[in-house]
Amino acid sequence: MSGASARSLGKGSAPPGQVPEGLIRVYSMRFCPFAKRTLLVLKAKGIGHEVININLKNKPEWFFKKNPFGLVPVLENSQGQVIYESAITCEYLDEAYPGKKLLPHDPYEKACQKMVFELFSKVPPLLLSFLRRQNKEDCSGLKEELHKEFSKLEEVLTKQKTTFFGGSSLSMIDYLIWPWFEWLVALELNEYVNHTPNLKLWMAAMMKDPAVSSLFIDPKAFRGFLDLYLQNNLEACDYGL
Amino acid sequence: MRFCPYAHRTRLVLQAKGIRHEVININLRNKPEWYFTKHPFGKIPVLENSKCQLIYESVIACEYLDDAYPGRKLYPCDSYERARQKMLLELFYKILGYQNTVFFGGDCISMIDYLFWPWFERLDVYGIADCVNHTPALRLWIAAMKQDPTVCALLIDKNIFLGFLNLYFQNNPDAFDYGLSC
Repeated sequence: MSGASARSLGKGSAPPGQVPEGLIRVYSMRFCPFAKRTLLVLKAKGIGHEVININLKNKPEWFFKKNPFGLVPVLENSQGQVIYESAITCEYLDEAYPGKKLLPHDPYEKACQKMVFELFSKVPPLLLSFLRRQNKEDCSGLKEELHKEFSKLEEVLTKQKTTFFGGSSLSMIDYLIWPWFEWLVALELNEYVNHTPNLKLWMAAMMKDPAVSSLFIDPKAFRGFLDLYLQNNLEACDYGL
Repeated sequence: MRFCPYAHRTRLVLQAKGIRHEVININLRNKPEWYFTKHPFGKIPVLENSKCQLIYESVIACEYLDDAYPGRKLYPCDSYERARQKMLLELFYKILGYQNTVFFGGDCISMIDYLFWPWFERLDVYGIADCVNHTPALRLWIAAMKQDPTVCALLIDKNIFLGFLNLYFQNNPDAFDYGLSC
């Protein structure tokens, strides 16, 4: 979609104009896993959208008027309504747009997806800490913790005897947790799911999904970005462009 | 547990929607072994229905009740307004006093007000009611909330709550049953 591979907007940039009728805008960053959630849902539901990338190391002043937290992703529609917090944006898109529903209609099944989401919540900060420390300090403690968290997810799949976290077909919860596992693939760290065979199978099944494969992160660009990002380099977000 | 603010959220929603329910209080300092089959870490609140389905995390439990039971809907129907309430909840954890109408969702009480309420009810008991002195909108909100029938029906008696707190800080296992006659 337009803007997905465009240079990011930083400090001093002019605020973008109104969102054109018939489209929804997502403020994003090419390598942000939280924004990836929203992009996956937009793609999976075939929602017409435009992307504006934000330089997260050098944020434009006007961006804080969109989201007081200054984070991506942020959705903005042609009525000027703004939605932020990645999980909230995904749920909003599922409710507001027609077509395939990603969240189940049944209240209990929906609650189960949200409980799995809570179970996953320690993975993002852990994985980031792990990537920050790799090659520098001893990160065996972090490795242990990651294994523990992955085992919790493995237990869900084992108990349910399903391929995906929401059942036999891919649904919202799978898209919500995928971006961090995409990192594992891009960084060739698949060994971290060696002791969780169902999780490994889930990853393989996810790679076959059209939305996942069309938005798959470029491993070289990601590694380049990560190096610069961890050094707080202002150019990190536009690596490879 | 009678004094837990997270469980209070769920009880508010059960009351507001008139959902028939039974309450089992758990002694959080001395949890029964069987309770870990209901929640892996023994937390509350947990909902259990006749189909043995378990739902935990207070916000998830509240949304489940709103979805699963008929009658008055606490979350708005409009997708944007629903999203707005969920964003407000995130803000609640970071900023207080963010509102421009009587109630957080508009002119009528709704889900977001019940999700915030337990902490404000306790402000008075904790003796830190002064912290809303500089936020008149929040003080007005507290007064409006105290007029809601659901909030009133579940209002915790100040003296009983103080009695609980006293014993709780002494690590007394009888704290949770303070004020009960038998």
